Amino acid sequence: MSEIISQSTLRALAAEWIAGGKSVAGPARVKPDLVLYRRLRSVDDLLLEGFQRPANSIKEFLFPKAEKLYGYKIRGNSIELIENDSPQHAQVIIAARACDAAALPILDHVFNWDFHDEFYNRRRAATTVVTLACSAHDENCFCTSVGLDPGSERGSDAILFALGNGEYELRCATEKGRALFDGKTEKSDRTGKAIAGPEKKFDAQAVRTFVTAHFEDPFWQEHALTCIGCGTCAFSCPACHCFDIVDAGPAAGNARVKTWDSCQFSTFTAHASGHNPRPVQPARQRQRILHKFAIYPEKFGEILCTGCGNCTRNCPVGLGVLSVVTEINHG
Amino acid sequence: MDNVYKPDLMEVTRVRQETPDVKAVSVRFLDSERASNFSFRVGQFGIFSAFGYGESTFNICSSSNWKDHIEFCFRKVGRVTEAFWKIEEKDVVGFRGPYGNGYPMEAWKGRDLIFLGGGIAMPPIRCAVWYALENRADYGEITVVYGARTVADLVFLDELDEWSKAERVRIIRCVDPGGETPDWKGEIGFVPHVFERAQVAAKNPVVLVIGPPIMIKNTLPILDKMGVKPASVYTSIENRMKCGIGKCGRCNVGPIYICKEGPVLTMEQLQGLPADY
Amino acid sequence: MSAAPQFEPKIVAYVCNWCTYLGADLAGTTRLEYPPNVRIIRLPCTGRIDFNLIIKALEVGADGVLVSGCHPGDCHYTAGNYHARRRWILFRELLDTLGIDLRRIEFTWISAAEGRKWQQVVTEFTEQTRKLGPYKELYATGTYPDVPAPETASPEAKSFAAESELREVCHKLLAEGTVKVVIGYGARGPFVVTRPEDADRLVWNNRCYSNLTTYLKRKEIKALGKAAVIVKPCDEKSLVELEKEAQFERKDAHVIGMACEGVGQPKCARCTARTPRFADMTLGVAAGPEPQSSPSPNRFAALMAMPPAERMAFWTEEFNRCVKCFACRQVCPMCYCERCIVDKNRPIAIDPAPSTKGNFAWQIARAFHLAGRCVGCGECSRACPAGIDLALLNISMHIAAQKNFGYEAGADPKAAPVIGSYTLHDTEGFIR
Repeated sequence: MSEIISQSTLRALAAEWIAGGKSVAGPARVKPDLVLYRRLRSVDDLLLEGFQRPANSIKEFLFPKAEKLYGYKIRGNSIELIENDSPQHAQVIIAARACDAAALPILDHVFNWDFHDEFYNRRRAATTVVTLACSAHDENCFCTSVGLDPGSERGSDAILFALGNGEYELRCATEKGRALFDGKTEKSDRTGKAIAGPEKKFDAQAVRTFVTAHFEDPFWQEHALTCIGCGTCAFSCPACHCFDIVDAGPAAGNARVKTWDSCQFSTFTAHASGHNPRPVQPARQRQRILHKFAIYPEKFGEILCTGCGNCTRNCPVGLGVLSVVTEINHG
Repeated sequence: MDNVYKPDLMEVTRVRQETPDVKAVSVRFLDSERASNFSFRVGQFGIFSAFGYGESTFNICSSSNWKDHIEFCFRKVGRVTEAFWKIEEKDVVGFRGPYGNGYPMEAWKGRDLIFLGGGIAMPPIRCAVWYALENRADYGEITVVYGARTVADLVFLDELDEWSKAERVRIIRCVDPGGETPDWKGEIGFVPHVFERAQVAAKNPVVLVIGPPIMIKNTLPILDKMGVKPASVYTSIENRMKCGIGKCGRCNVGPIYICKEGPVLTMEQLQGLPADY
Repeated sequence: MSAAPQFEPKIVAYVCNWCTYLGADLAGTTRLEYPPNVRIIRLPCTGRIDFNLIIKALEVGADGVLVSGCHPGDCHYTAGNYHARRRWILFRELLDTLGIDLRRIEFTWISAAEGRKWQQVVTEFTEQTRKLGPYKELYATGTYPDVPAPETASPEAKSFAAESELREVCHKLLAEGTVKVVIGYGARGPFVVTRPEDADRLVWNNRCYSNLTTYLKRKEIKALGKAAVIVKPCDEKSLVELEKEAQFERKDAHVIGMACEGVGQPKCARCTARTPRFADMTLGVAAGPEPQSSPSPNRFAALMAMPPAERMAFWTEEFNRCVKCFACRQVCPMCYCERCIVDKNRPIAIDPAPSTKGNFAWQIARAFHLAGRCVGCGECSRACPAGIDLALLNISMHIAAQKNFGYEAGADPKAAPVIGSYTLHDTEGFIR
């Protein structure tokens, strides 16, 4: 016995959630050739088909690009710290991809490693992720090379499988998912399934072995020369989580703000003394691959990559994890 | 919400200028409950903040036996340290910590201790020396070789004098050739060479060496000749930090997050790490 | 019954030390009353006034900004105010494009003797600003009509005829040691070749989007030695401007110009040159006759047809998507500062966070730093992962430079650059 929901019911539900004060995010068309996950003002903006995947990831709903950690008031010698105690609103992310949802349990590790980042945890607890299983993949996808596949349920609270003619099979993976859809589906004997996924494009373990053993290697120089050192790959990646803490003083409202940062920026590791352990772009590219394929697996047992392909699609100069890692496998 | 990024508020109780661009600051918790619950291990660090300017990472350079305040020592090099330069007694700063792994003072019990430091590297050595002197019976011979480019760059000189009065303690101060003043009574030479000349006789010592990479590089062969294994040589690594709690992804040297599995590493560990610092 | 308290506008006045500040002082010493709403900030010269200061004043709550200095010809530093005037002409156009209320910014010349003029200007400007009310519309969201999006084509991948000739030429350049590195295009994007046998991996087709001149400034590339760079005619214009700014010397690089058939980007619809003009060698045959002029895209007209408040709402919506990845900056050949103003932290000049304010500050800085220098290669827009219509900002500055100074970036190597030069006859109409 399976559960079926029609697209119109789904949209009506989403409209209810929005009207009821839940924050609902999903893919929306921003420009003729650009689809992004956005907070939806109206369910009419929700886009369910006609594109591979949004150019950003769902991490921004759990780990915002700018998060105020606390404010402070300076009065002479005294400082008053002002925290935001407002309650966390419930959030639904609808039509996420498997490669977005799977990044959440991966990120859970680093945000709870001894110290618990409650900014992330609170949002995570308040968010229900409804994944839409992929019905296509493009040449930039490589989820199957990092241990995932288009039908993966990791990190999802509920998954929709397209059945055609505007209907989906709904599988609830968690209590949160069940709570959201309770009583809203119809019973059926039809089931859907995700597509098989792209062929494996590289061996992740071989990549880990290579990068660990080849820290100093002309490979990095050769393959990173065209990297221009922006933050596009890191910022559109579902798993990248490096951040900065900035205090821009009174002109910026007297607050400490956690903001996204990228290991590709030239000043990422620059010391105040002027010393920079990673002074050239090849060293920074190396760090990215090492972090994802060797360091994070060593520390937390997971590859810090879900094979979504955003980095490669968005990179202004055609680099990205896939292009570098396939070179490793070929070399 | 338990906010791990929120600092404790500290009141400045003392500011001492050590060199033209180095100051040592003592701070105490404004919250007395926090003060009584607080403890740390020497070698750990804190993230201190100047409100309106930002946060900066400094070793907690006071002994963990001193309960009423903690100290940090900084050189004026950037935005935040320039703001710290202006602070006075009664000003309020922020503190997050203690972070990092600290020195394994328990494991060092019974051993001779050799401390080798260059320039601004004295503060992270200072806390360990005070701790050892305050637990004198637990440790063997203590040798400190401390040098800087010039006499004016030496910090905590008055404390070095005090240490030399303790039992079984040998203090050797040096400056780089050309950095001496006419009335300089200490050694002249780079720390590794001065250390070699000192012919320190130590049985199975623990060595803590902190300083610029070139200093460490030149010290290692001398220790090797003395028969000191890399597993007994410790250092404290500096890397740019922001969160201090292993999340922002900035301070790693290979797979080691300096803020969590460091900053104190043995040479054996360091030699197994890539040159990423 | 007492009247409701009147709205007291906050006016920030940036004045030069030698003329207007003394003029204001004269107003004081001669007992001329003027409203206390103005906060005077004294600078050595109007030429020192960074456009960012004007924005900052509005950001921190000013309702009006006054900018004033010596009369042209009387600058204490000879030409500071001429440079300032240049900048103001362009900056006003940028502010207008962004939908910032121009009635709240006033430029004026007030000399040390013109105490009375100071009194008049401040009194009238204060009253005018009082009538406008508090400036609440800054960075406000709202509705706005659609601006047509740039047309892109995704053509079938098509190799251009000169591809094999290009490979041979590059092979030879490397094999003979004429150059140590070729900056060209590969299968996925830019491709840097150091070995002659790799020249076969170079491509030349209708997906060769990148402006490769941006690599000339990167230290990892410079370290390799003399470079050959492959340029489309549009990219070549960057070299013209870089040369003017002493960032590029012809003798230090080998420029391989490619006659272009178009790469399906929005800029291709406004193409003004299909054959490179100054390359060391030119390969390929241009498609069709050289177009004579480039019509303004109707997108900019659509934007400017909106009332300022709607324009502002448009940009607030666009900039709210900005994540500060700085892809726009990194792809741009004209952004070659080793340390960008956004990375400056003593003091912080541009709010580094990707907040509304921080994003506006960055976008304004970028657009204005490129005024008169951007050659319209369109890479910033293509690179932006958030689909921000950056081209519109650059187009606005391009049009402003053409309209006011007859200048087109990248066209004439001998034309004096817009910012950095001035004439005695630059437009004065908006300056009181």
